[in-house]
Amino acid sequence: MLKKTGLITYLQVTPLTVVLVLFFVIPVALVVVVSFFRYKMLVGLVPDFTFQNYADLLSNPTTWSLYVSTIKFTLIVLLVTFVLGFWISYFLVFHVRNLLTAIGLFLLCTVPFWTSTIIRMISWRPVLGREGLINSGLQGAGIVDQPFDWLLFSDFSVVVAYVHLFTLFMIVPIFNSMARIDKSLLEAAVDAGATRWGVVWNVVLPLSKTGIALGALFVVTLVMGDFFVVTVMSGGLSGSATSGIFNDLQFLNYPRAAASAVILLIVVLVIAASIFRLVDVRKELVR
Amino acid sequence: MAIPKSAERSEVGAHQGSGEIRLVDVTKKFGGSYAVQNINLTIPHGSYCCLLGPSGCGKTTILRMIAGHETPSSGEIFIGDQMMIGKRPVERGTAMMFQSYALFPHLTVLDNVAFYLKMRGVGKEERRQKAEEMLQRVQLDHLKDRMPGQLSGGQQQRVALARSLITNPKVLLLEEPLSALDEFLRLKMRGELKSLQNELGITFVHVTHTQPEAIALADMVVVMDTGRIDQADTANVIFDRPKTPYVARFMGGQNVLTGTVESLSGGLARLRNADGATFEAATGALEAKAGSPMSIAVRRDRIKLRKRLADQVLSAVNEISGIVDSTEYQGSYIKVTVDLGGGVFVVNVSDSEYFVDAVVRGDLVTASWTTADVHTLSKVDMGAIDDPYLDATQ
Repeated sequence: MLKKTGLITYLQVTPLTVVLVLFFVIPVALVVVVSFFRYKMLVGLVPDFTFQNYADLLSNPTTWSLYVSTIKFTLIVLLVTFVLGFWISYFLVFHVRNLLTAIGLFLLCTVPFWTSTIIRMISWRPVLGREGLINSGLQGAGIVDQPFDWLLFSDFSVVVAYVHLFTLFMIVPIFNSMARIDKSLLEAAVDAGATRWGVVWNVVLPLSKTGIALGALFVVTLVMGDFFVVTVMSGGLSGSATSGIFNDLQFLNYPRAAASAVILLIVVLVIAASIFRLVDVRKELVR
Repeated sequence: MAIPKSAERSEVGAHQGSGEIRLVDVTKKFGGSYAVQNINLTIPHGSYCCLLGPSGCGKTTILRMIAGHETPSSGEIFIGDQMMIGKRPVERGTAMMFQSYALFPHLTVLDNVAFYLKMRGVGKEERRQKAEEMLQRVQLDHLKDRMPGQLSGGQQQRVALARSLITNPKVLLLEEPLSALDEFLRLKMRGELKSLQNELGITFVHVTHTQPEAIALADMVVVMDTGRIDQADTANVIFDRPKTPYVARFMGGQNVLTGTVESLSGGLARLRNADGATFEAATGALEAKAGSPMSIAVRRDRIKLRKRLADQVLSAVNEISGIVDSTEYQGSYIKVTVDLGGGVFVVNVSDSEYFVDAVVRGDLVTASWTTADVHTLSKVDMGAIDDPYLDATQ
């Protein structure tokens, strides 16, 4: 008979530990190790322990400008998806009285996810292009003479694509925490003289904090980790921190790509840590 | 809770005028069905009013319409002499205490109580100080920095009460305030609510489905049945002289009997029921006709019970006979349930009488009463609907 406290407990956590070690700890450790290797033209990886890759990256102005651009996109997309996600959830939870209708509308939000990311991105081209829906519409209506050039292959189109792709990741967690708010709390606030805005600011917003934090985490990691959307939608004019990694990989410069990845990982972890500092998600989840 | 006699009622948001509530022909429809229909009710200023009825009877809808959280489909609601339809809750001078207490889980007890003041733009220091005074009055100032989740049910209720009272309302609306508490706390809070109402002198409207609660607290009991008011009167009248079989059953403490009018003389009707038993009852305002059915109620504690021999025949009026089905000891009295064959009849026998010649299950008994103890009901009994609340036995 096995002792309950000892071996069995370890056995119970073994499967998850094995999965995490195999598919998470080892790969990340490998990346960290490789980031200290040396890269030799035509040879490739040379085992070493050098900070050269990091020094190269941090002294390179391109790295910095890529990070500035990525963080700019992250902040803009975070703001837009938050505003959209918050009000869509608010509408679904507090304004749609019929639960079935709410669920139906919620499912409607997921319809774009029935197609692949690429198709959803490409489909913006006929809308935003020089000869696209918006430009020809505006011109046809006689509102503008010249088509807008900044609609496609610009920062604008990148943000549009990000917002389109990632708003649902904001809606779901916010919807989830809003749905758990006792409706009588809103009435109690109205009873105490709160205006509609007062209710949102004093009751709904603080009680949706967990969802907002989780949604923000999704959006931050998705935007920071993206190079594809930004490349396609900006027509190659903008890059992201990840595009640097991609470029290095194409040149088989694995050590520098690994160092880039480690830096990105650290940046994202710092952002995640600060989000969790603002909102004690674990405490809120058990509420 | 010892609240100093209307001493330092916060002057913030003092609502002037009377707390008389008048509902005129109020109807509320949800979709196609009526929650309440043509309600006319006047609750006098400064009274403790209980809206009593089974769940789904519309009592909470009435409360929420007075509070302004529901808008009537038609009809008018006045508080004092002002029409309230279309006004926001805070403009009505009402404060509502929710069944779930609805305390803000992200705010401390102090900030919960201060919420109303915050919404009025009172400065942080001032509102915290006022909220603290209010918490002292409900004896919870030592818990002011706790979160609501860290409080017991009884404490949460006091916080909810403090949060309602800080608005200085002229009407306090209580939605099943005692239902979430255990028996001991319930009785304690019941007493405290009553004395609080006495001290504040404002109108309390209390929704409940518990008859003893309503009788113990209310100056005015409003008994409701599926969207309609069956009877609104003092607790004593409702209990002693229910108007309808429904009220008699719902309040408990009464036996409802139905018979056909055989003869009428001098304001007295003689009824005969299906089993051949005869009763006498004053017709009062009721227009009784020979040959038509009529229902009466007799209080359980006004009935004499004696054993009957098997060959004895019923002869006297106001007598009914059956077999004892069960006896239940209640301390000061014994509740004897008699099986009449076609129904049950409950007699509350005082303990001193009961133990002289105790009846047990299976005994043949005769129950009798005097005509003076018979109360005529305005409606003919259609039989108890299959509802757990009805025919509640206390």
